Amino acid sequence: MSLGRVLRNATLAVLALTWLVPTWLLVVNALVPATSYSGSPHWLPQDFGLFDNMSQAWDKAHLGPALGNSLLYAVVSAVAAAVLAGLAAFATVIMPVGRQAVWFWVIYSGTLLPLQVFLRPLFLSYAHTSLYDTQLGLVLIYTAIAVPFAFFVLRNYALTLPREVVEAARIDGASWWRVFWQIHVPLTRSAMIAVFVFQFVAVWNDLMFGITMVTSRNIRPVMAALADLQGNYSNVGPPVVLAGALLVSLPTVVLFFSAQRFFVSSLKIHR
Amino acid sequence: MSTSLTSLTDRRPPSAAGGPTAPRRATPAGRSRHTVRERLVAGGFLAPSVVLVALFLLAPFVWTVYRSFFGDSRTSPFSWFDNYALFASDPALARSVQNTLLWVVGTVALPFVLGLAIACMTDAGRFSRLVRLCVVLPYALSGSAVAVVWNFMLTTDGAVNQVLTTLGLDSLAQGWLLTWPGNTLVMILANAWQATGVAVILFLVGLQSIPPETLEAGALDGASGWQQFRHIVLPQLRPVSIIVIGMSLVNGLKSFDLIWVLTQGGPGRATETLAVSMYNETFLELRPGAGAAIAVVLTVIVLAASWLYLRRQLDVKGV
Repeated sequence: MSLGRVLRNATLAVLALTWLVPTWLLVVNALVPATSYSGSPHWLPQDFGLFDNMSQAWDKAHLGPALGNSLLYAVVSAVAAAVLAGLAAFATVIMPVGRQAVWFWVIYSGTLLPLQVFLRPLFLSYAHTSLYDTQLGLVLIYTAIAVPFAFFVLRNYALTLPREVVEAARIDGASWWRVFWQIHVPLTRSAMIAVFVFQFVAVWNDLMFGITMVTSRNIRPVMAALADLQGNYSNVGPPVVLAGALLVSLPTVVLFFSAQRFFVSSLKIHR
Repeated sequence: MSTSLTSLTDRRPPSAAGGPTAPRRATPAGRSRHTVRERLVAGGFLAPSVVLVALFLLAPFVWTVYRSFFGDSRTSPFSWFDNYALFASDPALARSVQNTLLWVVGTVALPFVLGLAIACMTDAGRFSRLVRLCVVLPYALSGSAVAVVWNFMLTTDGAVNQVLTTLGLDSLAQGWLLTWPGNTLVMILANAWQATGVAVILFLVGLQSIPPETLEAGALDGASGWQQFRHIVLPQLRPVSIIVIGMSLVNGLKSFDLIWVLTQGGPGRATETLAVSMYNETFLELRPGAGAAIAVVLTVIVLAASWLYLRRQLDVKGV
């Protein structure tokens, strides 16, 4: 083996280990039973208290409703954003719409602005319209935030499609609505899934709107609950907090590794 | 849909988007009758997205810009640029700007360099898949979960201090999150731990799109490994590099979760970035005018940063 290769493998091994340490400690210490946690981090697993810790975290941070809420928010807003943005992308690319550039910028501009800009006006108007602290309110915000980027991805994808299929269907007398659902959506399926996965993760991981637009424990999303649990770090103990973090991360980790292909394709479309 | 009836009787090819360039066009008379209807339908397709974005994103944006010109005393008088002047007079905001600059440098440089290095080293090789998995794994975690993990690493009786004490380096053990600028720097490292994964993925995609012939040609001409990398690989990674830099830059500017869960911007207000300061001023200090001004400044910076890679995207796609 050449010196270069030895050096490369050594560097890689060091990097991989460095990266693995926090993940390893997360898992190992989430396994340690909370009662036998000695006050300093464990490096090797001993006993199996994971499920106890998770159930403690579940009770302390009211994770049950939070997980249900986040599932609702993530699924509904990601689907709604994919469909609405898909319709808009279809309209601007396939249908005879005037001033396409204007419509593009009106919708796309939303994704360029930092979320902080929307926060207080939305907070105030929600307080006035009783959307504050409701599930509908959060779904609306998450959908609105997801639409611009979804539109961008789906529009770019639609631009690459051959027009002949749609034109043939139109000549055969299919309505735009039918063309969209029966021809366009199946053709853009992979981009739609990429958008769904991307937005699902974004909504699931959101913290800022979760702590701003919500106060009740049975409305708040899961990351707000985790932040709350972390706030009680010294009371509940590290194993419980880590087990909670592990529990709320499982859905996105599983989704990420089962849909990595779509992640990569959504990132590539981002170009 | 009611439109299906009319379109059944209408056997003309649709006048394609972008009118003038469309190869086939309807006759002018038929076209006007046709297009009014068509445009209504197209409007219906566009409306939900446009209304949502206008109502939930653009209107609040305009309102925030407007609010930033009004003061925070009880009557909220019009105050010109007083809220923006806070950047010069308020030490907490000056610190926040400093931190934001640190974050920008750190979130661009670290994932870029580490991502490029790891992608190049794991492009081929036996245990490279395993290495890649280790690095990409944290990318699947949320900012809040990353904060929980790193709090465990960095608290006074956390893993980092434990290791230092075990190695006999007690003097180096410290409250990592308590003193500036160390606390900001370790959070930037935590962010790099999470964000490098996506850079690795993107660089691998870029590396795989390099035709092997160019490398073979370089090798035949006697280019060394480093020369090949410098003069063949690197130039061809330019498009991907721009995406990685642009993405990390914007994500770094917008990052909120990690800081909020780890330190809430404290101790004092030492670890705030602009994204966190806006939240603090608005909702904790109850100075919405100042918060609005910070949000506007953040927007300007984010827009300028986006321009870096947007320019390319829009050139290619041609709006």
